[in-house]
Amino acid sequence: MATIMTVDDTASMRQMISFTLGSVGYDVIQAVDGAEALKLAQDRKVDLVIADVNMPNMDGITLVKSLRALDTYKFTPILMLTTESQAGKRDQGKSAGATGWIVKPFNPEQLVNVVRKVLG
Amino acid sequence: MNLASLSNRWWMWAAIAAIGSWLWSLPSLPLVVAVGSGCTTLIVVVLLIGHGVTLQRMQQAAASYDDAGDNDELLTAAEAESEIEALLEKSNDIVPIPPVDQMLQTMEADNHRRRLEDLLRRWVDVAHRYSEAALVLRKEIHGVVHHTEQAANTISSSFQAVINKATLQAREAMELLEGTQGGATSGAPQSLTDFIRVSDERLTKMADEVVRVADLSVQMVQELDGVQTRTQAIDGFLLDVEKLADQTSLLALNADIEAARVGEFGRGFSVVAQEVRRLSQRSHEFSDRIRQHLKAVKVGLNKTYGDMRNLSAADMEHALKIKEDVIALTRSLEGKNREVAETVGRINTISREIAQDVHNVVVSLQFHDITSQKLKGMLEPMDDLRRMLFHLMQETMATGKNLLPLKEGSTMSKADEKSAGVSADAGSDDAVLRKLRAVGSSSSGPSVELF
Repeated sequence: MATIMTVDDTASMRQMISFTLGSVGYDVIQAVDGAEALKLAQDRKVDLVIADVNMPNMDGITLVKSLRALDTYKFTPILMLTTESQAGKRDQGKSAGATGWIVKPFNPEQLVNVVRKVLG
Repeated sequence: MNLASLSNRWWMWAAIAAIGSWLWSLPSLPLVVAVGSGCTTLIVVVLLIGHGVTLQRMQQAAASYDDAGDNDELLTAAEAESEIEALLEKSNDIVPIPPVDQMLQTMEADNHRRRLEDLLRRWVDVAHRYSEAALVLRKEIHGVVHHTEQAANTISSSFQAVINKATLQAREAMELLEGTQGGATSGAPQSLTDFIRVSDERLTKMADEVVRVADLSVQMVQELDGVQTRTQAIDGFLLDVEKLADQTSLLALNADIEAARVGEFGRGFSVVAQEVRRLSQRSHEFSDRIRQHLKAVKVGLNKTYGDMRNLSAADMEHALKIKEDVIALTRSLEGKNREVAETVGRINTISREIAQDVHNVVVSLQFHDITSQKLKGMLEPMDDLRRMLFHLMQETMATGKNLLPLKEGSTMSKADEKSAGVSADAGSDDAVLRKLRAVGSSSSGPSVELF
């Protein structure tokens, strides 16, 4: 099954995502911020990234830009999962190259559906 | 001026003389007298010096006036006027005597200024207080974020553990009740359902076997009945044969009698008649022997018949009882099977309900993340306000007026450090906060107390 990376500075958030996607069979790895996420993404191939926007060290939008700059992650789906509901941030994310934008709190069934749709 | 100064300072010389005379007379005087005269001398000296100094000053003042006066001995009218004006101006500086209106205006301006100062002082006070309060708020917010993070993490881990265990429980139960897919093919029952089914089949088969055996015994009894009928028939035939033999014997006797009546010619006939008689006797003997055999057969048959009858009756009864028991058992096994199916259904329903609860928990557990981001978002405008207020406070106080309410001057320097940096988690805040928090903080006693 596909490997999904979840990036969020809140441990409980990472656990919820891990639990939700893990129980339908995906392999989920965790990163606490954009910097760690970038490093992990380069150590191993990840099929989908789910990232928060507000994080220390490297925020979500910068992470998206950095990932899109890598050859291996040019077309990898990246979903932003965030408390930000403002159109401004959303447009920033879109122009940085994010595949989708989910507002917290997420509905576990919806998340699974979106992940399935995006991973094909 | 030496001579003049000497004559002017006559008081000085007088004082020195007084002291000198006292000192000269000192050795020859008793103590009390010496002290008394000493005091008197001191008073005299002080008075002399005071008088002398005052006199000197007055003379100096007079001299200066005299000097001024000496230089302008001959004044013209205009010069005199200007002189007077200058004096008046000078006198104004020394002792201003403004008109009443001016006085009132100045008083109003003073009042106004005082009110403004008061207002500024109060603003500064507010700014100062807000800084302190903001520090406390910041620390409390961080505290809340930290605590909710810990709680959320614990809840999340425990929740996942519970879910895993519930799933495991359901799986174990299902395995017990339904068994794994490949179990039934190996022949031995793997699950409760299988076991129930197989037991049912075997018991039914056993009961059927018993009934079949009972049936066979019944058949055998019927066969025996048939045999019994045949023996009775043979018995009947034997009777007929004996009757026939008897009649033949009688006939032979009659033949003998007729043969004797005939005389010599009937002798051959009477031999024949005797032979016939002997034949019929022989057939009697045979018939007897057959009859004996028949009797034995009958006895044996009766015995077998009796045994068979008992056996088959008992067998049948037994078989029927067994069959009844087996039917009852089968019914209860079917009942058990239904129970198993119901339990399986209930387990599935509960699993579905658990899935719904899991859904709710997963949505709710994201509360920590959302609330901590919202709380941290509160910090930025708070810090902005604090910085702005602090700058305002600094500028206000730089105007030179003493506007700071006389509180701990030390906290001001700390606010200074704070405003210079960005995030205020420095240890320097702790002293202030500890003081502030000590007022209304949580109790440090035991968690449960019975009175």
